[in-house]
Amino acid sequence: MSINRRHFIKGAGAVGALAAFGVGYSHTADRFLKGFLDRGRADDPYAGNAPQPEYRVDPATGRVQLNPAQQVSYTVCMGCTTLCGVRVRVDKATDQVLRVTGNPYHTLSADPHLPYGTPVLESFAGVSRHQERGLDGRATACARGNAVLAKLDSPQRVRVPLKRVGPRGAGLWAPISFEQLVAEVVEGGDLFGEGEVEGLRAIRDPKTPLDPAQPELGPKSNQMVLLTAFNDGRQAFARRFAVNGFGTINFAGHRAYCGLSMRSGYAALLDDWGAQPHLKPDFANAEFLLFIGTSPGNAGNPFKRQGHLIAKGRSRGLKYVVVDPVLTNADNIAADTNSRWLPIRPNTDGALAMGMIRWILEHDAHDSRFLASPNPKAAERAGEASWSNATHLVITEPGADFGRMLRGSDVGLTPKGDDDPFVVADAAGNLHAHTGTDRGELFHRGAVTLTGGRDAAVATSLALLREAAFEHTLAEYADICGIDEVEIADLAREFTSHGKRAAVDTHGGTMGSNGFHAAYAIVMLNALVGNLNHTGGTSAGGGRFKDVAPGPRYNLAAFEGMQKPSGVGLGRNKFPYEKTTEFKRKQAEGRPYPSAAPWFPLSPNMGSEFLPAMLNGYPYAAKALILWSTNPIYGVSGLPQQMAEGMADPKRLPLIVSIDPFINESNQYADYLVPDSVLYESWGWAGAWGGHLTRVNSARWPVVEPRQARTADGQVIEMESFLIAVGKRLGLPGFGPGAIADSDGNTHPLDRAEDYYLRAAANLAFDGKPVPEAEDEEIAATGVTRLVPELKRVLKPEEWRKAAYVYARGGRFEDPEQAYQGEFLGRRFPRAMQIYNQQLALARNSLTGERYRGTPYWQPPVLADGTPLEQAYPPDAWPLRAVSTKSQLQSPHTIGTARLQQIQPANPIGLHREDARRLGIRTGDRIRVVSPGGSVEGIALVRSGIQRGVIGIEHGFGHRELGARLHRLGDTPLPKAVAAGAGVNHNELGCPEPHRPGITFLTDWVVGNVARQGLPVRVERM
Amino acid sequence: MNPELLELTGFAHEPAWLPWAVQYFFLIGLSVGAFLITLPTYVLRRRSDDGTARAALIAALTTGLAAPIALLADLHQPDRFWHFYLYGQHTSWMAWGAFFLPAYAGLLTLYGWLCLRPELAARAGSGGPVGRIDGLLAGSGRRLPGAQRTVGWLTAGAAALVALYTGAEVAVVAARPLWHSALLPVVYLATGVAGGAGLALLFANRAPAATQGLLRWLCVALALTGLTVIAWVLGLGGSGPARALLGLAEHRPLTFGLWLTAGLLVPLALAWFGRAPVAAGLLAIAGAWMWRWEIFMGGQALPKNSAGFYGVHLSPGPEGLLGIVGTLGLWVLIALALTTLLRPTANAQG
Amino acid sequence: MDTSRRNFLKGIAAGAAATAVTPSHAAVERPMGDPGRRWGMVVDLRRCIGCQACTVACGTENRTPLGSYRTVVTHYELNDGDRPRRAVLPRLCNHCEEPPCIPVCPVGATFQRADGIVLVDNTRCVGCGYCVQACPYDARFINEETGTADKCTFCMHRVDAGLLPACVETCVGGGRVFGDLMNPESAVSKLIAEHRVDRLNEHAGTEPQVRYIGLDGRLKSKVEGTPSPLRASLKEVVS
Ligand SMILES: Nc1nc2c(c(=O)[nH]1)N[C@H]1C(S)=C(S)[C@@H](COP(=O)(O)OP(=O)(O)OC[C@H]3O[C@@H](n4cnc5c(=O)[nH]c(N)nc54)[C@H](O)[C@@H]3O)O[C@H]1N2
Ligand SMILES: Nc1nc2c(c(=O)[nH]1)N[C@H]1C(S)=C(S)[C@@H](COP(=O)(O)OP(=O)(O)OC[C@H]3O[C@@H](n4cnc5c(=O)[nH]c(N)nc54)[C@H](O)[C@@H]3O)O[C@H]1N2
Ligand code: SF4
Ligand code: SF4
Ligand code: SF4
Ligand code: SF4
Ligand code: SF4
Ligand SMILES: [Mo]
Repeated sequence: MSINRRHFIKGAGAVGALAAFGVGYSHTADRFLKGFLDRGRADDPYAGNAPQPEYRVDPATGRVQLNPAQQVSYTVCMGCTTLCGVRVRVDKATDQVLRVTGNPYHTLSADPHLPYGTPVLESFAGVSRHQERGLDGRATACARGNAVLAKLDSPQRVRVPLKRVGPRGAGLWAPISFEQLVAEVVEGGDLFGEGEVEGLRAIRDPKTPLDPAQPELGPKSNQMVLLTAFNDGRQAFARRFAVNGFGTINFAGHRAYCGLSMRSGYAALLDDWGAQPHLKPDFANAEFLLFIGTSPGNAGNPFKRQGHLIAKGRSRGLKYVVVDPVLTNADNIAADTNSRWLPIRPNTDGALAMGMIRWILEHDAHDSRFLASPNPKAAERAGEASWSNATHLVITEPGADFGRMLRGSDVGLTPKGDDDPFVVADAAGNLHAHTGTDRGELFHRGAVTLTGGRDAAVATSLALLREAAFEHTLAEYADICGIDEVEIADLAREFTSHGKRAAVDTHGGTMGSNGFHAAYAIVMLNALVGNLNHTGGTSAGGGRFKDVAPGPRYNLAAFEGMQKPSGVGLGRNKFPYEKTTEFKRKQAEGRPYPSAAPWFPLSPNMGSEFLPAMLNGYPYAAKALILWSTNPIYGVSGLPQQMAEGMADPKRLPLIVSIDPFINESNQYADYLVPDSVLYESWGWAGAWGGHLTRVNSARWPVVEPRQARTADGQVIEMESFLIAVGKRLGLPGFGPGAIADSDGNTHPLDRAEDYYLRAAANLAFDGKPVPEAEDEEIAATGVTRLVPELKRVLKPEEWRKAAYVYARGGRFEDPEQAYQGEFLGRRFPRAMQIYNQQLALARNSLTGERYRGTPYWQPPVLADGTPLEQAYPPDAWPLRAVSTKSQLQSPHTIGTARLQQIQPANPIGLHREDARRLGIRTGDRIRVVSPGGSVEGIALVRSGIQRGVIGIEHGFGHRELGARLHRLGDTPLPKAVAAGAGVNHNELGCPEPHRPGITFLTDWVVGNVARQGLPVRVERM
Repeated sequence: MNPELLELTGFAHEPAWLPWAVQYFFLIGLSVGAFLITLPTYVLRRRSDDGTARAALIAALTTGLAAPIALLADLHQPDRFWHFYLYGQHTSWMAWGAFFLPAYAGLLTLYGWLCLRPELAARAGSGGPVGRIDGLLAGSGRRLPGAQRTVGWLTAGAAALVALYTGAEVAVVAARPLWHSALLPVVYLATGVAGGAGLALLFANRAPAATQGLLRWLCVALALTGLTVIAWVLGLGGSGPARALLGLAEHRPLTFGLWLTAGLLVPLALAWFGRAPVAAGLLAIAGAWMWRWEIFMGGQALPKNSAGFYGVHLSPGPEGLLGIVGTLGLWVLIALALTTLLRPTANAQG
Repeated sequence: MDTSRRNFLKGIAAGAAATAVTPSHAAVERPMGDPGRRWGMVVDLRRCIGCQACTVACGTENRTPLGSYRTVVTHYELNDGDRPRRAVLPRLCNHCEEPPCIPVCPVGATFQRADGIVLVDNTRCVGCGYCVQACPYDARFINEETGTADKCTFCMHRVDAGLLPACVETCVGGGRVFGDLMNPESAVSKLIAEHRVDRLNEHAGTEPQVRYIGLDGRLKSKVEGTPSPLRASLKEVVS
């Protein structure tokens, strides 16, 4: 080889090597540079990039020294429906939220919470190291509560009004002005070059029937539908617009796909189908708690408070059992035998509960003193905190009167000055008005002669319950639910051996097609120990002060020209099918049943039913839909797969307006996207959902500058400003000049959100004993300073500082001492516990015409017409049952929050070891779950902490929107979020109701709650 | 995997030592190994130079000069390298290394210069730009046997310290069972010598005598490696490390198996039968690298608290593949420079 | 290339300049804490619901990069006889009495205060990662943003301001209890006196100062079991 050739090769080699070296070491060189340019990249040599503390506290004296650069504001978390009071730490210069944790004044965040009179600076010291007060005085936020601040500046946020360009659901949007938005929504026109669209003005007609042939359906106004989620403290405002202003009956939240089964079970037990109050255990004083279909600490409402109380309780001897097909963090091995997981077959809780009821009644383990008291006074004299209708007689004689309560007038018992009483029998069988005696026979069965001479068989409510329970042996019940006889007996024994310091709780686990009966049976256990209103028993909640109400200062509930909507809601609810034109027509034809789709006479408005109904056109089609911060097409089992076509078709649903800070699976189909405030930007007066024993009103107020655009007159664009603008343009009552009356009879305008919410604050501040006035120091420390100008503008001189006092503390709260009065709870629920519910017994199934039964009994899962699910979806084709468990980390709308997803990026598909072995599946395998309605693909998690034959999927993942898909605003993309689409959505497995046309999904056959639990499925390896 | 215990939420832990570290330990290992091979000739004067020592010396020099730069790159704050000298810590092997390494590199260069001066002088005659540089470097060109031996001994001392610290630095980490073995330094040294001999074989340009000599070194080094690893597995270096190594082999059968065969057994066989010296050399080099990769990356893939293993992924960027290519490039540059300055070995002339 | 060389030389100069002042200045600068105290934590696992509020609060307070954690809460499913149970385990730096992370540091960047808090001086740290290797608890990591070793500081910036660590402030179950182990009246001391407390990796001889109530034997040192199938996909989420 010649020298030159070698030189050449060497040269070439050298160049290559040099290049490789250069590239390889580029970032080292880069680090060098960085190093020299800014030495010490972190802010502090030791604390790194952690911001300065919000204040300093002298550990010896407790003296608080504020950090003038920051503010600590008390407001409300929106990380889930619990709505905890939180303390938000804000950097004033940048208006960034630095960190969020709990509000120590708030019963959902601290236990015990601070007395309301505590000065704000004292509340700061109370969570510090001063005398270690911060340990027991801890006020917390959960992982979501800590993480959701990311929503404020989320790149996925909608900040300006958007109008779709391109077809519905295409993800193509154009920014428009607020003024154009309002004009187009109200006046309509050829808005999308797809032909005329009726605006809200044309739709609003509170007089003319929407269908003259079926007047019972109500006026045209009902064709405007407003769907929302839950009362986050702003719902009353939306209701004021839709229901009391616009006059539509179609205003609904998420209850039907949240926990309607539980709510209805309690509605039956507490005899209030309207408000559907529900009970929660007094965790702090209970000795034994039984959770059937709810997982305290893993989910549950109030999530954080329950988690805290269950954790504290089990470390101090509280025993509890969680009945659940899936093992969750509700259990903890460190709690040893105080915590216990009892696996059960999906949809069989009714059997477990009826088995327990049978055992209890068989062994006289029920509280007869409580049950025998036929009226409140008698109960009080007997030392009971509540009463029941256990002894009240029910007519069991077949015929017209079958199933109704026997009344005094039936047997000539009408004590003067008393309206028609119920009737009880004494030991000798003599009849008394329920108000006329202190004790009734518990298990009486006999015959009475009704006025008019007819004889009728009667039985006490409790006798009927016993008969229902005795329809199956304990062995049969055990066989159904997969929990053996001895276990059921032990559970019943344990439950009844703590007097009234035992309680049962239920919730999402009963969201099956037999959910109502399961729930009624479960909550009945509380009645058998008579624990209502009792320390360590159950509570209907602590209630709240007057805010958005006819209050001491302003009337925010009623107004001039307020509408009272009429007709039938799209959910075919709260209205008997028997009163419809359809029924009369079919009756004339000789076949009154079935109705075209199930009716739910006992249920409230059901958001889940609304969407399918308006697309199916039964009972009628809708013309405009407003979606405000709700996401049924992600959250309703069976909707994700079925809605795309209908929602995308403007002919079936002409106008869709969304008010929402984000684009979710539902509002992706909107014609207009109206931005909304998030979290700590919003106004509102939230309450506690349950589990609170004292009054709670939580203040939501903008503690930072809202990030979205503003209207021409400088209002932040959000739900309130939008609905006010629309309301005023439509000339709706309740908006604009003179909309709000004060206690002196003067009226005030409703032109902006502050006009409404600040006056509610005044009501709150003056309700009962007025609160003190806020001092300047606490106004400044909590950032309430930013409200002062508006407080002064809207409120009266004597009002504003009191309102400021409320805002400085994040609301108005009753002191912890109010929780108890000796052995009784401070706030007591007055009505009788219904061992037998007459309203239930008189209602009929609109598909079969059959009457429902007035007591709980074992009801297997069924289709809406009572066909057994097993028959519709035979087990040999669908051998497994899929259930949904809430993610402990996520809520349905927190996906894409990086600080949460770095902990658990997705949700696996859980199945039992033995099933896995049979199917040849190993942890980490990709598998497909197939149901009659759809299928999902994900990562298998083979575990022993799940019932055999069950597929367990955590809820909160598997999103298609909320950052999982790219949208475009003009030509700027709305970026995707971190792994927002990761995991699977259990609802994509939702099953349709076979042999029923249109969009359908499994529901409970009595109350119509969405059935997300116990879906028939099979699993395939991939 | 114990089916009785399932981790539902777990967290991955990123390796703190990146492939850079592998590169450094690889290069320095080869350098020290190769340097050892030069001792009998240049220092002990046991044998006349048949090319073995010269080839080894070039191998030692090229790798020894490239190594420190690779080390620098593994620091996340390379610009602060001088902190090592400002805030030295006697408790830290790494701190000591900061002194041993430059000492070794410096002495090695000096040693190399002393050994190669005559050659440079000879080359200076040949004129041309390179020749002129050689002339400058060669100076008088006279042999300085005394200096050569003294410096040789000093370098040997430094080399020993480097071998000690590179081994100890890793072996003392009790938190990583795979590393915490008294045998680790031995394997490092053995694989280093093997790799060094392997590299020298490439520089020996097939000169029969040198090749024979180097193959002998290779044989011994690889045999020692094999025996030490057997001892390791038998638990002579502690039961923890033994379990860890077996666990690693089980978790990464492919890469580990590749090292065992291509990196150890095959070159050993070739060397033993004196076949395909270049291939044997290349495989020995690869073996030295693979072993370090398995130990460093594998060791960090073994969770300290969690179940299972962490995934070790070689990123394409400068934190990974590019970095490796980069160090290779650096080494090639140095090698080219050196071989340009030096005359091709006698027999391969023309 | 040669700009960096210039800077490089500048660096040397700067370094040399620093040399003059550093020793003294380092000595006074370092917050050594009160020798009369010994900060520590007791985690009452009976009161841990595994909610991860601590994990998120820590990351938010201390601005740790995504995918790097000063504290984590691992969840397990294990069998109690034939009964499957849940176990949760909050992990953080143990501020060991015998911290193996300190002696290995080549530049003395990591040190222990008189009150027991183990810290990293990120102005001195060269980012060599040796301490990360040496910690038997995986409590350390190289912070990709600061390029230096990072770990739980017991939120010294808050503790020194009379406040509680972020993870303690927001602990939903009330399981994380922080305080002075030297003070017999402190909550931590009382818990230790009243309960059987365990520590992680006792055999490592590090004398950890984070103690646990109700720690299952199987979790005391390296956990042997089936790893979470999601741990793998974590990488792509955070990067
Ligand atoms: N499979 C299955 N399905 C379920 C459940 C389950 O456990 N499993 N859970 C059910 C239950 S209990 C419920 S309550 C429902 C909940 O379902 P929904 O109440 O219908 O909707 P969410 O997903 O909670 O949130 C509604 C929307 O509010 C918007 N939003 C998010 N944050 C904010 C904010 O700060 N401000 C405003 N203005 N808007 C915001 C987002 O667009 C979000 O999509 O889901 C139900 N669906
Ligand atoms: N972490 C977290 N907490 C939350 C929420 C959240 O999104 N995330 N959402 C809040 C809301 S809106 C609500 S409504 C509450 C709901 O709180 P929960 O009702 O406690 O939660 P769910 O997961 O809906 O259902 C409870 C349990 O029912 C189990 N289950 C499923 N099928 C059956 C069955 O057939 N029988 C029995 N016995 N159990 C069954 C599930 O495995 C689950 O563990 O949680 C609130 N708290
Ligand atoms: S429980 Fe819900 S409301 Fe309360 S802090 Fe957590 S996310 Fe927020
Ligand atoms: S836990 Fe690790 S980092 Fe913390 S002190 Fe102990 S050894 Fe050091
Ligand atoms: S990374 Fe920093 S703190 Fe850790 S050992 Fe290296 S220099 Fe010391
Ligand atoms: S003490 Fe501070 S740094 Fe340590 S884990 Fe808790 S929050 Fe994180
Ligand atoms: S915050 Fe408290 S309860 Fe929640 S996981 Fe952390 S230690 Fe456990
Ligand atoms: Mo809900």
